[in-house]
Amino acid sequence: MMGFYFSRLVEIYPFFLKGLWMTSKIAFISLVTCTLIGFILGIFRSGKNIILKRIVGVYVAFVRGTPFVVQIFIVFFILPEWGLQLDAFPAALLAMAIMGSAFICEIVAGGIDSISKGQWEAAASSGLTLAQQLRLVIVPQAMRVILPPLVGQYVLLIKDTSVVSVIGVMELTRVGWVTVVRIPEGLMVFSLVGVLYFSISYPLILLSNYLERKMALE
Amino acid sequence: MHSQLSFGGAPPKKMDGSMLVDFNFRIIFEYLPLFLTGLKSTFFISLISIALALVTGIIACACRISGIKILKYPAIAFIEIIRSTPLLVQIYFLYFGLPTLGLRVPEIQTGIIALMLNSGAYIAEIIRAGITSVDQGQLEAGTASGLNYIQRMRFIILPQALGVTVPPLLGQSIVLVKDSALLSLISVMELTRCGQTMTSERFMPSEAFFTVAFFYMCIYFCLKALADWSQRRLIFREAY
Amino acid sequence: MSHKKLVSIGLAIVLMLCLTGISFAGTLSEIVKRGELRVAVQSGAAPYAFIDKNGVHTGSMIDFAQGMADAMGVKLTVLDFDWDGLIPALLSGKADILAADMTPTLKRALKISFTDPWIYVQPCIFTKTGASYQTLEDVNKPEVTVGVLLGSTGETIAKQYLPNAQIKSYKGGGRMVVQALIAGHVDAGVNDDLAVLTVLPDFPPNSIRLLDKRLGQGKDPLSFAVKHESVNLWQWINLYFETIRANGTYDKNIAYWMEGIEWKKDH
Repeated sequence: MMGFYFSRLVEIYPFFLKGLWMTSKIAFISLVTCTLIGFILGIFRSGKNIILKRIVGVYVAFVRGTPFVVQIFIVFFILPEWGLQLDAFPAALLAMAIMGSAFICEIVAGGIDSISKGQWEAAASSGLTLAQQLRLVIVPQAMRVILPPLVGQYVLLIKDTSVVSVIGVMELTRVGWVTVVRIPEGLMVFSLVGVLYFSISYPLILLSNYLERKMALE
Repeated sequence: MHSQLSFGGAPPKKMDGSMLVDFNFRIIFEYLPLFLTGLKSTFFISLISIALALVTGIIACACRISGIKILKYPAIAFIEIIRSTPLLVQIYFLYFGLPTLGLRVPEIQTGIIALMLNSGAYIAEIIRAGITSVDQGQLEAGTASGLNYIQRMRFIILPQALGVTVPPLLGQSIVLVKDSALLSLISVMELTRCGQTMTSERFMPSEAFFTVAFFYMCIYFCLKALADWSQRRLIFREAY
Repeated sequence: MSHKKLVSIGLAIVLMLCLTGISFAGTLSEIVKRGELRVAVQSGAAPYAFIDKNGVHTGSMIDFAQGMADAMGVKLTVLDFDWDGLIPALLSGKADILAADMTPTLKRALKISFTDPWIYVQPCIFTKTGASYQTLEDVNKPEVTVGVLLGSTGETIAKQYLPNAQIKSYKGGGRMVVQALIAGHVDAGVNDDLAVLTVLPDFPPNSIRLLDKRLGQGKDPLSFAVKHESVNLWQWINLYFETIRANGTYDKNIAYWMEGIEWKKDH
């Protein structure tokens, strides 16, 4: 029986690779959008403008206080009632963007806050505009504090792509779910799924550990 | 790809035909008992899971930092595999996999085991970081002062490790409560499943999932307050 | 760059990824203008609609939908949903047609319009071959757990005919219920007989049997559905089925998918 299922699994292997490809696509696009938006929000969050700080704070609290699966349902089923109807793939991207940017915002804000006031003053007295201060002085230094947890967050985002399977996006987890009802060997199917996720997550985890050690030494 | 934006046309209509502005609180009150049942269930599942995860984490950490190879390497493998694979995949692995081993485990138990193993691995790392954060010099001073192993643990290592460990542990609890929402996908009766049930019966996803989100936010703020309070207490204790 | 510029660039990136076209789902003329027929199915329900070993959507209803798309001269897009997500998908405009093995109930008909039935089935109770349940009364006991599909008529019927038993709803598709039965999570299941019979070959032989007594009063229809506003589309689908019944396509489809097991080889 095991052998029979194993051969069927081998047959269906390309399907898993398609799922891995979809996962990678979603992960990559999400990493880029979340980083961009997260940095912008993080700059607001650590800034002087109290109102902006509060607004971003509320947004971050909502994202951190609710499960991602609930956020996905909201984006997919509730937004149409408010006028925005999205297909599964764009909805998944939007949900990931919203969720990831909130977490990256906190990481970036933490990094910027860690820069001593002296740096801000020195930059300001050098005649740089606020944007230039951020770009040339503050953020490059903050990157030391930001980079390790940022890479760690990337690993979390890759793993969170598995949750978008609930709205039908045919990524790796969904492939496993669809397959396991046809080939009822749960252990084999999801071991394969796990191995494929491991292959894209573990290198990033190693990178994150390396960065943590490197930043701590400097 | 096809998406649709209808801002410019007719005012947004809800799925059940009513206007968006008629957010139906009456329906929410009708379903309130269901949501409270789900909330209770989420609460108990989370509580049991985090307790078990704590035990798992301590055991895994002990194995991880021990010098005994037969304990150390499986522990490392366990932790790295859990950290590199999504929780949902772990849940499905157990849910679909255990029956093939002949084990008939009810969904709730399966879910709790998945949460316990998942959070356990993260807790193991948190504890390990806490223990290694205690300065070697402190330990040496302790030994030099004539304290034995247990006394060193009690007066030097544990109090300091606790300060470093408790906040991330509470953070992991918050993560676990949110992770428990995934159990709804293996038909465990908890808060998120209530939202799905209400949507499938009444076609009112806004009311259903905003209510669900609201309850999760309540749990989050309670836990966050607890975490902030404990942070203040612990720092205060360290001071003396 | 000022803050405002950064914000607008960020928003633009997100919006660009989401908005790839503005159009309206549902009515016949719009489908033809768009050049695409979007059909919501619940995959995993062989042989109605499922994903075959090449990752392609296939099945009896997919073939019907493909025939419709060909007749309209548009391309077919198949969208997957869990059973309880099908009607919300139709109502929110994600799909033009709901093509599932769905029973037209009065409650559902308040929200959506059902076409004329394309096939008839009967709800049944099924259980493991070795189990001792023989009659409805055997199953209608407090210590018995019965699995049903979340949002299905099986769920409603089970609650009606088996009020003493514990009902457990599974999200996803009919297969999840059969899976749960095999895994021992439930003692019995309730679903349409055809839905159960056609998934049996995928599980170890002789593991499941259906109880003799069918539930409900007589045969249950299964229909496609569209939104209330899509009147032309509704009439068109009815005409489509009339046409293919007359020219033999319907019989060929049913013979291939429902009555034979030839399709197992290809898919």
